[in-house]
Amino acid sequence: MTRAAQGLRAWLLQRFTALYLAAFLVYAVARLLRTPPAGHGQWLAWMGQPLTGVATTLFVAALALHAWVGIRDVLIDYVHAVWLRLSLMAAVALLLLGSGLWVMRALLLAALRAAQVGA
Amino acid sequence: MSFHMVTDKPAPKFLNLLQIRLPPGGVTSIAHRISGVLMFLTLPLAAWLFDLSLRDAGGYRQVLDWLHTPLLRLVSVLLVWSLAHHLLAGLRHLLLDVGIGVDRLPARRSALGVNFGALGLVALYVAALA
Repeated sequence: MTRAAQGLRAWLLQRFTALYLAAFLVYAVARLLRTPPAGHGQWLAWMGQPLTGVATTLFVAALALHAWVGIRDVLIDYVHAVWLRLSLMAAVALLLLGSGLWVMRALLLAALRAAQVGA
Repeated sequence: MSFHMVTDKPAPKFLNLLQIRLPPGGVTSIAHRISGVLMFLTLPLAAWLFDLSLRDAGGYRQVLDWLHTPLLRLVSVLLVWSLAHHLLAGLRHLLLDVGIGVDRLPARRSALGVNFGALGLVALYVAALA
């Protein structure tokens, strides 16, 4: 892939993920404000639903990609020492991957526990 | 204030941050970056709180208690501003991409709308907290 094609891919990725992130966040915030969970049981039941799990996992993936493109742009603009830029990019990738996998694990455990409670 | 190239003044030799007058669109743009970086930096905290809140009833209560401490309230105000500004500035960006509001005056108005709209949403949030 040429450098121009890579740039276009990142540009498109940033915009498609932005649309999903915006739609998800507006829905999630509206729903949380309208019917705030009364306690742990309701919170677990909500997050443990298969549809919530899938939508939130997609959100985590979209967020990681979106943040990666954005933070990489910021680093390219402001950090000029190549070794420092590459080190920071590696740290960013680790942080995104770590946080994302952590949330996915929590979602999976919530789904299992919600299924147990429901059964 | 004008976007036009100023040709009758010599280029500044020193960049004095207090003397740079950014146009509204410039403020929207740099704040888009700052808000994105702020949200990125709090992702591990968010992931941890999310995990803890789902673990059991005690964890859920613990997270709620922490969210009510002054420090995390301050962080939440910063994050609400970040999200509001980033979302509004991002939508403006998408509209500009498809050619809506590209002219100088509409672009300036929408930039002001984003900058003050985000501050307005934070004001609502702070009022709801108080």
